[in-house]
Amino acid sequence: MDLLGLANYAVFMGILIGIYALLALGLNIQWGFTGLFNAGIAGFFAVGAYASAILTSLPASGRLGGYELPLVVGWLAAMAAAAAIAWPIGKVCLRFRSDYLAIATIGIAEIIRLVIRTEGWLTGGVRGVTGVPRPFGDLDYMPSQVAYLAIVATLVLVAYLLVERQVRSPWGRMMRAIRDNELAAAAMGKQVEARRLQAFVFGSALMGLAGALFVHFNRSITPEAIDPMIATFLIWIMLILGGSGNNRGAILGAAVIWIIWSVSELLTDRLPTEIAVQAKYARVFIIGLTLQLVLRFRPEGILPERQPGSPPHR
Amino acid sequence: MALLDMRAVRGGYGDADILHGVSITVGEREIVVIVGPNGAGKSTAMKAVFGLLKVRGGSIVFDGEDITAWAPDRIVQRGICYVPQVDNVFREMTVHENFEMGAFLRRGDLSAAFDRVYGLFPDLKAKRKNLAGDLSGGQRQMVAMGRALMLDPKLLLLDEPTAGLSPKYMEQIFQITRDVRDAGVSILLVEQHAKQALAFCDRGYVLATGANRHEGTGQALLADREVAEMFLGG
Amino acid sequence: MSFMDFLNFHLVPGIVLGSVYAVGAIGITLVFGILRFAHFAHGDMATLGAFIALALVTAGLTPWTALPIAMAAVAVVAIGVDKLFYDYLKVRPKIMTVMASLGVALMLRAVVQVVFGVDPRTYATGIVRPDDYFGLLLRDRELYTLAAVVLIVVGLTLFLRHSRWGKAMRAMSDNPDLARLSGVDNRKVTMLTWAIVGALCAASGFMLGINNELHSMMGWQVLLPMFAAAILGGVGRVEGAVLGGLIVGIAEELSIFILPAQYKAATAFVLLLLILLVRPRGLLNGKVL
Repeated sequence: MDLLGLANYAVFMGILIGIYALLALGLNIQWGFTGLFNAGIAGFFAVGAYASAILTSLPASGRLGGYELPLVVGWLAAMAAAAAIAWPIGKVCLRFRSDYLAIATIGIAEIIRLVIRTEGWLTGGVRGVTGVPRPFGDLDYMPSQVAYLAIVATLVLVAYLLVERQVRSPWGRMMRAIRDNELAAAAMGKQVEARRLQAFVFGSALMGLAGALFVHFNRSITPEAIDPMIATFLIWIMLILGGSGNNRGAILGAAVIWIIWSVSELLTDRLPTEIAVQAKYARVFIIGLTLQLVLRFRPEGILPERQPGSPPHR
Repeated sequence: MALLDMRAVRGGYGDADILHGVSITVGEREIVVIVGPNGAGKSTAMKAVFGLLKVRGGSIVFDGEDITAWAPDRIVQRGICYVPQVDNVFREMTVHENFEMGAFLRRGDLSAAFDRVYGLFPDLKAKRKNLAGDLSGGQRQMVAMGRALMLDPKLLLLDEPTAGLSPKYMEQIFQITRDVRDAGVSILLVEQHAKQALAFCDRGYVLATGANRHEGTGQALLADREVAEMFLGG
Repeated sequence: MSFMDFLNFHLVPGIVLGSVYAVGAIGITLVFGILRFAHFAHGDMATLGAFIALALVTAGLTPWTALPIAMAAVAVVAIGVDKLFYDYLKVRPKIMTVMASLGVALMLRAVVQVVFGVDPRTYATGIVRPDDYFGLLLRDRELYTLAAVVLIVVGLTLFLRHSRWGKAMRAMSDNPDLARLSGVDNRKVTMLTWAIVGALCAASGFMLGINNELHSMMGWQVLLPMFAAAILGGVGRVEGAVLGGLIVGIAEELSIFILPAQYKAATAFVLLLLILLVRPRGLLNGKVL
C-alpha cells in the first residue's frame, strides 16, 4: 500500500472509530455511570440510521422518503427516534434489576430488525435505503473524507464534553451513588427511577446519532449492514476494555478494538476461501474470549474510572 | 466448666471493630440473654460465636475446644445451631422440608429428631405439609427453631426470636425456649424486649457500645437501678 | 376455518412449540432462581446441543437415541463454562456474570459455525406425513416431543421434590444464606444446577431442531421467548416455566390471526413487557430480581 492509500485508510478508520466512540460514550452513560445493561445497542443504532436516511435521502420508488430535508434535521430525528424507543422500554424495565432491561433490549433490537426487513414501504426492505446525502460529498474523495472526519470528530468532542460536564454535576454524583449502592437507590425511590430513565434515554439518543453518522458516511443502508449481536458486543468490549465509567477510556477502547477488529478482517480476507469462512467465525469466538479475559484480568479497563475529587490513577 | 466461654472478643465485619472486648459464658442447661441499647453489638456478639465475624482478639471455647475463627459449617457439626432474626425459614418449602433441611448434614434415620421437634412444637405437626411462608409469625419462629434443633445441638443461638411478634406469641416463644432448655439444650439469645427477657432467663448480660456493661441473674439485673434507667427505659 | 383445522394447524403446533419453550424456560428459571442471574448463553447452549445430536445422527445413531448423549455432553459443557467463565465472577455484582454469559453465547455460536457451518441442516430428510387420530393430525416426532417433555418435567419435579440434592437446590433458590447455615455446599448445588440446565438446553435445542431445522442462530432466536416464558410463569418456578412456555408457544402460533406472520417473534416480547408491567412476579408468584 502506498502512502496515499495508507492515509486514506487512516482517515477511513478514523471516521469509523469516531462513530464507535459515540456508541461507546452512549453506553458509558448507561452502563458506566448508571449501571444499566443495554444489550440492544445495534437496534438504537439502526433506528437512528434509518430515521435520518429516510428524512434526508433522494426520492425512490416503493418506499417512503425523498423529503431531502437538511442533514441537521435528520440527525436530530435520529436522536429523537432512538430516544422515543428507549423511553417506554426504560419506563417498564428500570424498576427491576438490570437483567430485565438486558432481556427487553435484546427483544427490541430483534423487533427493530424485523420491522426493517418487513416494512418495505418505510425502509426499502432488503434493498435498504440508498441515495443518502453526505455532507461535503461533492468534493473529491480525499477532501470529502477528511471533512467528514472533522464533522465526526467535532461531534465526538461535543458529546464527550457534554457527558463529562454532566458526570461532574450533582446529577453525575447521584448516578454513581445509585449505581454503587442499590439499597440507597431503593430508598431514594421515584426520583432515582426518573434519573435512570434520563440516562437510558440520553445514552440511546447518542447511539441513534451514531447510526445517522454511519448512514451518511456510507450513503446507504441495508438490513445486512448491522449484525445486531456482533455490533452490540463490539461496543461492550470497547467500553469494558477502555474503562467503563471513564469517557476517555470509552473513546480509547473504541479505537483499540476497532483497529484490532478491522486488521483481523484484513488478515482473514487474505486466507484461501476454503478456510476464510471459518476464520470469520473464529474472529467472533475471539471477541467473546477477549471479553472474558478483560473481565478476568483487567475488569477496570485500560483507563479506570476516576472518582471526582480524588487524584487520577497513576 | 461452662459450655461456651467467650473471652474478651474483639472484631467486626470489615476493618472496623464493633466488639471491643466482649466476654460471655453459657453453662449447661442455661438460658442466657444478651440485652442492650441499639448498636450495642448484641447480635454481633452472637454472630462472633457462629463464625460469621472477623475475630481479631480474644478466644471462644466451646465444650472444651477452641472454636475461634472456625467456619460456620464446622461449628454446626460441633453442636451449635443458629437461628437468624429475619429470613430464618425456607418460605417456599413445607414445614417438614424445613426440618429436613435443618438435618441436611446428618445422614441416616431422622425419625428420632423429627419426633423430638414435633414433640416440642405439637402445633406444627398438623401443618407439616403447609408452606412455611404461609404460617403466622409465631409459627414461623417455631419452624426456624425446629430447623435448628434437628441437628440435636448442645447450644442454640437465637437472634431476637420475638421481634415483631404479639405479646401472646412472645410468651409462647419464651415458653418453648424453656422447654428446649429442659430437653437439655443451652440457649444464648439476643433480645430487644429487655424486661420480659430478663424476667424469664437464667442469666443476662447488658452490652453497650460493643463491651460488657453489667451481668448477673435476670432478677438481679432487673433490680439494678442503673440497668433499669439506662437500658430498660425505667 | 373448522375447529379441527384450528386444532391441527394452530393449537397443536402451538403446544409442541410451547413445550419446547417450556424445557428451555425451566433451565432459565433454575439459573435465575438458584444462581440469580439472567443466563444469555442459554439459547446458544441449546444450539450446541442440537448440533452435537446432529453429529451423532450423522455417525449413525437415530435422533432419539442421540438425544440423551447430547444432553449428557452439554451438561458437561455447562459445568465447564461455569468453572471457566462464571465462577470467578460470583464475588462481583451479578450483572457481570450476565455480561460474561453474553460473551459465552457468542463463543458457543462461533464454535457451532466453525464446526458445522451456517447452512440449515436437518436430522432426517424427506417429508413426514402426519397420521390421522380421529381427525387430529399428528406426526410421530410431535408425539415423541410431547412425551419427552412430559418425561423431563415429571422427572425433574420428582427430583426437586423428593431427593436430598433436589431439596438443596430449592433451599438455595429460596434462601441462600439459610441454606449455607444448614450446611448446603454452594459449589455442589451450582455444579448440579449447571448439569441439569445443560441437559435441558440440549433437549430443547434438539426438539426445536427435529420439529423444524437446525441452524446456527436457532438458539439465539428462541432466547427471548424462553425468557418471556420463565418470567411469565414466575422466576424460580418450574411449573411456572411450563405454563409460561405453553402460553408463549400457543400465543406465537395464534398471533398470525392479528399480526402479519413476520411478526410472530414479536409476540414473546409483548407478553414479556405486559407481565413486567402488570405482574412482575409472574403468574405463579415467583421472584423478582
